[in-house]
Amino acid sequence: MTDEDEPRLADIRETDQVYQPAEDSHLLAKTAAKEVGKDNRVLDVGTGSGYVAQFVQEQSDAAVFGVDLNPLACAEARERGVQALRADLVSSFCRDSFDVITFNPPYLPSAPEGVWDDWMETAVTGGEDGRAVIKDFLDDVGRVLRPDGAIYLLVSTVTGPEAVTEAAESAGFEVTTLAEESHSFEKLLIFQLIPTGE
Amino acid sequence: MDEDLMDILCCPLDKHELELDVDERDDEEILTGTLTCTECGEVYPIEDGIPNMLPPDMREEAPA
Repeated sequence: MTDEDEPRLADIRETDQVYQPAEDSHLLAKTAAKEVGKDNRVLDVGTGSGYVAQFVQEQSDAAVFGVDLNPLACAEARERGVQALRADLVSSFCRDSFDVITFNPPYLPSAPEGVWDDWMETAVTGGEDGRAVIKDFLDDVGRVLRPDGAIYLLVSTVTGPEAVTEAAESAGFEVTTLAEESHSFEKLLIFQLIPTGE
Repeated sequence: MDEDLMDILCCPLDKHELELDVDERDDEEILTGTLTCTECGEVYPIEDGIPNMLPPDMREEAPA
């Protein structure tokens, strides 16, 4: 048996390498699903296991796509019946493609003492302030969202909701808090972002 | 990958249209093939029904 025949670490630890549904996923899924109509085209960014995309799809009967950077996540989302593709945020979509976009972003501030340097770290951490990936998302998402569309973004108190609101407003969105849920060390919020058209 | 996805996919580098070449499909969807940018010529593979729309410098398996 050569080295090439040995299963790669990521294959052995597959479920450890894909973010699995947690409180944040449930809150985003149930809040967003209420807002989606069956004729909507929906994108779930950073879809991970595909849980949010699948839930919204089943509740609304809408066409839901899931995008993730992690190939293991794409495969898992596909297993759930979600149309999955591997891409960096919304970079590979055309202008005005979606009525609804959901995003449970990597939002934990990076641990200064060290990094795991694996897919799970990519799935949960958002740079020093936890907002790096959210900012990259906000920079480009207005392009692919229809002018009458809406974004449902999960934000934690750990990530600084005021700073996220400011960033969203300067990216051209009106921000409303649709849901809140308290957990041990954080409060989870669902923001609805509507393009202001300015 | 459902062929309807072609309506909303573009090249992540220059946002131009893509041309689909199918190698293998089943009743419902495309399993293997390529998407080629009509402008810059970059090729994006479709494997196991999943298009890989990452630019070449981001395609390595391990996270950055």
